[in-house]
Amino acid sequence: MAKIVIIDDDPDILDASSLVLTSQGFEVLTAANPDDGYKMVKEQSPDLIILDVMMNEPDDGFFLAQRFRKEKINIPIIMYTSVSKTIGMNFGVSEIVPVDEFVEKPISPEELIEKVSKILHQPVSTGSKKKEGK
Amino acid sequence: MMTGSETAQLENIEVRYKPKVLIVEDEKGLRLGVKRLLQGEGYNVTAAENGTEGVAFGTSAEFDLAVIDLKMPDLDGIDVMKEIVKVFPNTICFIVTAYASYDTAIEAAKFGAYSYIPKPFNPPELLDQLRKGYERRTLLLEAEKWRKEREERLLEVTFEKTRLNTIINSITDGVLVVNKNGEVVLYNPSAMRYLGFEKITIEEYIIDKLHPAIANLINKFLHTGNYEHKSYSTQIELKNPAGQKESGGGLFIEATSSPVPHPDGTLAGVVVTIKNITEMKKIEMLKSQFVSMVSHELKAPIAAVYGYLKLLSGGTLNISKEQQTNYILRSEIRLDGLLKMVNDLLDISRMEMKTVQRELKELNIADVIKAVIDLLQFEISKKKITVEIKKGENIPSFRADNDEMNRLFINLISNAIKYNKENGKITVEINYENKFIIIKIADTGIGLKPAEKDKLFQEFFRARNEKTKNISGTGLGLSIVKRIVESYSGKIEAESEYGTGACFKVLLPR
Repeated sequence: MAKIVIIDDDPDILDASSLVLTSQGFEVLTAANPDDGYKMVKEQSPDLIILDVMMNEPDDGFFLAQRFRKEKINIPIIMYTSVSKTIGMNFGVSEIVPVDEFVEKPISPEELIEKVSKILHQPVSTGSKKKEGK
Repeated sequence: MMTGSETAQLENIEVRYKPKVLIVEDEKGLRLGVKRLLQGEGYNVTAAENGTEGVAFGTSAEFDLAVIDLKMPDLDGIDVMKEIVKVFPNTICFIVTAYASYDTAIEAAKFGAYSYIPKPFNPPELLDQLRKGYERRTLLLEAEKWRKEREERLLEVTFEKTRLNTIINSITDGVLVVNKNGEVVLYNPSAMRYLGFEKITIEEYIIDKLHPAIANLINKFLHTGNYEHKSYSTQIELKNPAGQKESGGGLFIEATSSPVPHPDGTLAGVVVTIKNITEMKKIEMLKSQFVSMVSHELKAPIAAVYGYLKLLSGGTLNISKEQQTNYILRSEIRLDGLLKMVNDLLDISRMEMKTVQRELKELNIADVIKAVIDLLQFEISKKKITVEIKKGENIPSFRADNDEMNRLFINLISNAIKYNKENGKITVEINYENKFIIIKIADTGIGLKPAEKDKLFQEFFRARNEKTKNISGTGLGLSIVKRIVESYSGKIEAESEYGTGACFKVLLPR
């Protein structure tokens, strides 16, 4: 069973997302801030990380993603975003934003399931080596 | 009404100006004879009996004409003439001599004599000479008058030009004018600074040295030849503008080009004005940052509630009755928070737009605080917090709007409750010092980290750590508090040590 770590500072988002993913048979662990999230990923070596872009600080989700990549932690990352459209920023999968997929809040359970399944069952090449879902 | 004869008389008086003649002649008979002759002819005659007297008369008042004897015992006639002309260059001088020769004639002319009159002379000859001399004098005066007028006008034009230049040079916006060949016609120091030039030479071709965007603005007119009466603008960020290095960040300018027409309507050149819009850009940036923050903060509860609703409506997931009730309850809490946030935002916006309707009254601050504590009694009891109010002496009333003062202290005291520990304490001190009413509100809660103190009053800042994660708030309370305090010319400070409690000090001027 694939293991997923969700890092988001909103407890309600953690709850709802966990419920959705648990119902699909995934093992879900949650962390409420970047530091706990980092530790959890290091200890648990999940198959997928779901990361909120904006927690204590705007952008700290980005920095955490960059930190993972810098430390050669190449676990796929789905990033939760919320304000990208408001400020006209168009995030794309790139070197600077080293993540595999974006999910715009609010999150529909169907979309979340679809994106998670896509990444875990058919890994897309992002130029980085990835673990296969076990 | 004036009759015809009266008019004629007036004209006569006007016409009868008597030309002033100075006679310098040592021979008494001749002097008096000439004087009488000329007076008879309508001249105003002054006679000097020697050269010294001649110089004295001729230099103290201006004569139209001077008839000067060449040979006098004291002074040479030519010297007398020189002295007179030195002071009054337009006095027409005649040299009278019995020893008429070419030499004297030439010498006399050389030193400025209009003519020389040989002795002895007959009256018609003298009168004819004087008449011609006087005509000459009139011409000279006329010419001088024109010359002076012209000089004055030139001076005026020059002055006008200098003044205009001074004005253009003083404008903080850059001004650059080029002719239709793209050569510089006029510029001011601001233009030079914004364009990053050390030097601009008038008449040099400048288009290819300009920032491409500005060159493009000018070329819009130059290349077409004909033009419409409109302007083009562009905004440019200058990365490393000369003379602006100390300002740190980039410099934003707005350049506008407009056509300069000839009187016949054809294109004479183009004027470019350059405005520094860096401050405006900064404000724009702050605004979009604020909008993005607001969006994020508003979207978070929406996303949470949306997530729960999807779970509840989906039906595909197996959710227990208990979980369902919990999700609904939490959705309500999030929506409640959302509503509070929108209300706080509206308050901030009203304060920013200064549309707050204030009803100013003399208020007793201690009474306001007591009322607030009563209002929050439920929360205070729930956490078993004790509240102590220490009131100093002679505290004057404060003229303010009751609602605003209420909101100010509700925000501060509810923070003191929210961030306090169970069985904690809140101490409110009210004192009057140095014309300030000073209110200190101290709690025994989590306290603030030094880094948090700086950001405390910013919109949406909330001290986020393990100890605060279960405390709800809009992140706008202290921002509103600060706005209220400052709108009364007051000040708010936070003093705190992390772990032992926070203390907010409000100073209101009285």
